Amino acid sequence: MNRIVVESATKRFGSGVLTVFEGLGLAVRDKETLCILGPSGCGKTTLLRCMHGLAHLDGGRIVIDDLEVRAPRRNVAMVFQHFGLMPWKRVSENVAYGVELAGLPRTTIDERVGRYTEMVGLTGFERSYPYQLSGGMQQRAGLARALALEPDILLMDEPFGSLDAQTREILQDELLRIYQQQPRTMVFITHSIEEAIALGDRIVVLTARPARVRDTILVDIPRPRTVASVVAHPRFVELRDHCWRLLRERLVA
Amino acid sequence: MTVPRVGEVNARARPISPARRWWRARPSDWMVRAASVLAVLGIWELFGPLLNPIILRPPSQIFRAFVDLIANGELGVAMVQSMRVFGAGLAIALAAGITLGIVSGRSRVVYNVLDPWISALYSVPSVALVPLIAVAFQYSGDAPRVATVVLFAIFPILINTQQGVRNVDPGLLEVARAFNTSERRLWGDVIVPAAMPFIFTGIRLAIGRALIGMIVAEFLVGLAGLGYLIIVYQNTFRIDKMFVPVIVVAAFGIALMGLVQFVESRVAPWTRREQ
Ligand SMILES: Nc1ncnc2c1ncn2[C@@H]1O[C@H](COP(=O)(O)OP(=O)(O)O)[C@@H](O)[C@H]1O
Ligand SMILES: [Mg+2]
Repeated sequence: MNRIVVESATKRFGSGVLTVFEGLGLAVRDKETLCILGPSGCGKTTLLRCMHGLAHLDGGRIVIDDLEVRAPRRNVAMVFQHFGLMPWKRVSENVAYGVELAGLPRTTIDERVGRYTEMVGLTGFERSYPYQLSGGMQQRAGLARALALEPDILLMDEPFGSLDAQTREILQDELLRIYQQQPRTMVFITHSIEEAIALGDRIVVLTARPARVRDTILVDIPRPRTVASVVAHPRFVELRDHCWRLLRERLVA
Repeated sequence: MTVPRVGEVNARARPISPARRWWRARPSDWMVRAASVLAVLGIWELFGPLLNPIILRPPSQIFRAFVDLIANGELGVAMVQSMRVFGAGLAIALAAGITLGIVSGRSRVVYNVLDPWISALYSVPSVALVPLIAVAFQYSGDAPRVATVVLFAIFPILINTQQGVRNVDPGLLEVARAFNTSERRLWGDVIVPAAMPFIFTGIRLAIGRALIGMIVAEFLVGLAGLGYLIIVYQNTFRIDKMFVPVIVVAAFGIALMGLVQFVESRVAPWTRREQ
């Protein structure tokens, strides 16, 4: 069953001068992690913003649960490339932000904030301000804020892209752990081939701008996974080389 | 490692005249400061009268004049007159400036309505408008002096607030939208806190200018308060007494800046990272 369907989507900026993508189509199935892999600047963030109704298409349509997307929905949550924490809110307040706006009762909010703060490993930092945290910890808070909504669909925009390699792997493992316990639908944007293979059930490879779907790859590496187990899997190298060729084709051309 | 953070887009959009964070000076800093003040006062005490006995009255004599002016009640009366005008004028300037700043920062129409007036009034030296105010308020009561204080203080707070609101990180506005923030909560959750460092900088600048406005009004319009004391003792060549209101104004300004910085550290503790 498809949760998200993107049909011949077109997006332009600058009154039509810059075509980010044109006639783009893809589908995200229920409870799968779909990784969208593409070179920097190809329009991945823009596509995700359109999926959440934060930007609007110039052509085609995006449908979530059989309804065309027009504005952000309560059962969809987003994690941002730039973390997007409010500098003036403490960690607990940032984590509570989404659930408060969803209008849940206070006891539920407190319970969720506690649970997800712990799940992302930020217990003890509830009263810290974002500036007091490392980048990795800030993104943990950004992740907890989205998870606390217990969304049906999670949209992730290169959430670990700006972190150092070690922190990134730790967070990838934790995301795998959290989502393998309770699989839900996730769209995960990345420009890292390794990350796409480690996290994705399928990978959609985009071309450079104007972005089209170059290919869709099934990641046939069994779950439960960890980053280490994926990298050690015999299929990993083949998948990586395949993705590499697809991405490079266009760069060289 | 560079970690792009929300707010980094804005990192260059600093408020005019960044805050001086002197309250977190180390003890050794304070010793140097105290030594500097004592040294200058000492030299002044010993050598000042030798250079010009009329103008450079020694600090000890100024201190005696201070005690006299308190004892005969003159200073108290003048301070009450001045503070009344200063307080009212600053309060009006802050209330109007912050309100107009926020509204004009968010609304293009209001911005365009206000902008020509702000630009025009801000580029005229405020002092030049004081006689006009005096005439308009017919030299009567506190009103012309309050109006002068407002004129001096309102622009820095208005413009800073406006800048703060206009410089809200678009990334954070998008986060707010992504979580379905209502317009009302958008103000409380994002816009006002984002503008807070700018607003506090505006308040600090406004205080400095309000004090100038107060003294200027007392020179030119009211013949009351600390400014008037300065003029009276200048005319009678009591330079020692003339210094007293000057020092009182300076001390008041410093105390008020300290208070504002204390309040800022309480109200906006996250801005600590900005130093
Ligand atoms: N709001 C916008 N206005 C104009 N151009 C934009 C806007 N957002 C993105 N772009 C442009 O669209 C292209 C794709 O951007 P983006 O979606 O951020 O790429 P990616 O996330 O894949 O790196 C870039 O060339 C970018 O400059
Ligand atoms: Mg991007």
